[in-house]
Amino acid sequence: MCNAFGIVNFEGLNVQIKGLTDYRPAGAISFLGRYRLIDFPISNLSNSGVNHIQVHIKNKPRSLIEHLGTGRHYNINSKRGKLHILPARSDVESDFYNHDIACYMYNMHAIEQVNYPYVILVPSHMIYRMDYADLLEKHVESGADITMVYQSVDNAKEAYMECDVLNLNKQKGVLGIEKNRGNYKSRNISLETYVLAKDLFIDLVCKAANTSSLYWFRDIINDQCSELDIRAVAHRGFFACINDFKSYFEANMSLLDIDKAMDLFDDEWLMYTRTNDSCPTQYYPASSVNNSFVSNGCTIEGSVENCVIGRGCTVKKGSVVKNCVISPGVTIGEDVHIENVVVDKNARIVRKKELIGEAGNPLYVKRDDRI
Amino acid sequence: MRQNNMLAMILAGGRGTRLEALTKKIAKPAVYYGGKYRIIDFPLSNCANSNINVVGVLTQYESVLLNSYAAAGSRWGLDARDSGVYVLPPREKDGAAFDVYRGTADAISQNIDFIDSHSPDYVLILSGDHIYKMDYSKMLSYHRQSDADATIAVLPVPMKEASRFGIMNTDEEGRIVEFEEKPKHPKSNLASMGIYIFDWKQLRKMLVADMDDPQSNHDFGKDIIPKMLEEGKRLFAYQFKGYWKDVGTIDSLWEANMDLLNKNNELDLNDSTWKIYTEDMATVPQYIGKDATVENSYINQGCIVNGNVKNSVLFTSVRVAKDACIEDAVLMPNVVVGEGAVIHRAIIAQGVKIDPGAVVGDPNSEHIELISKRVR
Repeated sequence: MCNAFGIVNFEGLNVQIKGLTDYRPAGAISFLGRYRLIDFPISNLSNSGVNHIQVHIKNKPRSLIEHLGTGRHYNINSKRGKLHILPARSDVESDFYNHDIACYMYNMHAIEQVNYPYVILVPSHMIYRMDYADLLEKHVESGADITMVYQSVDNAKEAYMECDVLNLNKQKGVLGIEKNRGNYKSRNISLETYVLAKDLFIDLVCKAANTSSLYWFRDIINDQCSELDIRAVAHRGFFACINDFKSYFEANMSLLDIDKAMDLFDDEWLMYTRTNDSCPTQYYPASSVNNSFVSNGCTIEGSVENCVIGRGCTVKKGSVVKNCVISPGVTIGEDVHIENVVVDKNARIVRKKELIGEAGNPLYVKRDDRI
Repeated sequence: MRQNNMLAMILAGGRGTRLEALTKKIAKPAVYYGGKYRIIDFPLSNCANSNINVVGVLTQYESVLLNSYAAAGSRWGLDARDSGVYVLPPREKDGAAFDVYRGTADAISQNIDFIDSHSPDYVLILSGDHIYKMDYSKMLSYHRQSDADATIAVLPVPMKEASRFGIMNTDEEGRIVEFEEKPKHPKSNLASMGIYIFDWKQLRKMLVADMDDPQSNHDFGKDIIPKMLEEGKRLFAYQFKGYWKDVGTIDSLWEANMDLLNKNNELDLNDSTWKIYTEDMATVPQYIGKDATVENSYINQGCIVNGNVKNSVLFTSVRVAKDACIEDAVLMPNVVVGEGAVIHRAIIAQGVKIDPGAVVGDPNSEHIELISKRVR
């Protein structure tokens, strides 16, 4: 049991994943074959003993709502717990006004009603493993107003573009939040994870709404850095921020390093997802598979190397699939050769025999495409 | 209950002695099969897919695991209003001596009150340890069409093997005229699958009479069916086409698993219109390592394969270390195979460790070896 409720926030406007976010919110994007991004924050919350979890969503909610369902598969107590889906206003004039603050204001009654003194706010587009019960304990012990989480990275020149960066003093106090413009190698990337008292959260949301109609929650936090005692806690271990197409591809690929994967997935800290009741995967005599994650329900007759293969995919005879991220339900036809490609759900690549992207710049095949 | 007024009773009390150590602590219906399933998933999923909402599971031998497993009706979608999986081990009743289930028919007799409480028109009797996909609603339509008192599902078997089975001799209409248990000189090749649909009112009468019959074995095949034939009741044979397997021995359990490697196998577990449901496991997808080779195999989620796997079935979260060689084997959940270990023609029971360099099984053996303890 954890004395806090959880809020899973939707992604900011800085998160644009070519193709994939055209069909769904970031949380509903398929990851590592059998997951969707939102499985990670919700599993973290559930495993931390957070019983009441709110998921705030805006555009194109269909796939996310379908995936979340009642939340039973996340091991949330079916009576004392709750997975609460809170849609944003649908009649906002421009996406610029459709920020988290607007969604919190719109759903304020649901937030006020929750009977926990603390709130843990987490993003839906970041993948890491963390015990929020520990984090809450640290927060309460420290007496800080707000506790945030960051990860120190040394590739901020190439990656994490437009992500929040924390400026910290030596005591890990947060001096300010800025955007990563790629000017420095080493930066403290914000995990957009906040722990604070519920009353303070509501105060800040109202304050943000009164200050500017363009304010996100991170903006009001930035404003308050000198007024409030805001501290940061470092996260160590596997961390991926899915903010663009490249980072999506690389996050999938990086987990092919099995040691990294084992760092994220722990036998004592399960990552839950919705079951599809698919049967085990069948490898036929001619198949050859190396260094790949393969989900259930696939039939593999071709050659697969350095790939992530989603549930229920078919890789036919003579085909070569290399350095690809294949979403669920995809068919790769006979003698097709694809390399460095992200293939979205249910696409079929049958006639086109060769599709080769650049190593650092993968191609994208749209959902339900016939090629 | 509404949907077709048929209630199913699954006989799941058997031990399956010939499965040796696999059924030492669990009943045969709970034995693993097909990479992720337990055998009882098949009749339960068949019920769910045939729109049967109320299922009684009759357990007896080592029932703790089976009881909790089957009771989670939500796994098979059997948890809506008016539906459910009821686990029914023998129980003490007012005014009757507490006794085990003395036979298949007695297991039903002792639960007449349960069946009555749902007031079904028909009762479907199933066995919990057979592997097959079957639409029971089609069998019920046949039962109704032929205005039968009982309908028995039968499977055509090769004539030379017919003397191993209970054989139904039928007239040209499909009406059963004679039932022979393991006949020396079979007249037909229609073997009983142990799947019966009865008119509940009629069966109830038969069972009440059977309960107090000191001569009876309280068995459907030995007592109830012959008695009904004797009384001239209308018994019909319903011919089943497709894959059906009763895995009685280690060899046949292995064979049934190997059947899945066949590309066009009749069971087809990948059929999205007739899924077999089972326990949901929160594991990562399977990972096939850099130096691994995987050939003609059936592998479930959570496995990490760094060695060589050929013609084998790997259940949930099996670990195969580098340079290990696995051929013609069935590895049940959480088996760990150490570096360089070699496995041939074997079934490795759940959670067993095969230490690095160990050699298990023999590629030329006639029988399949069952490994249920750590091999050093």
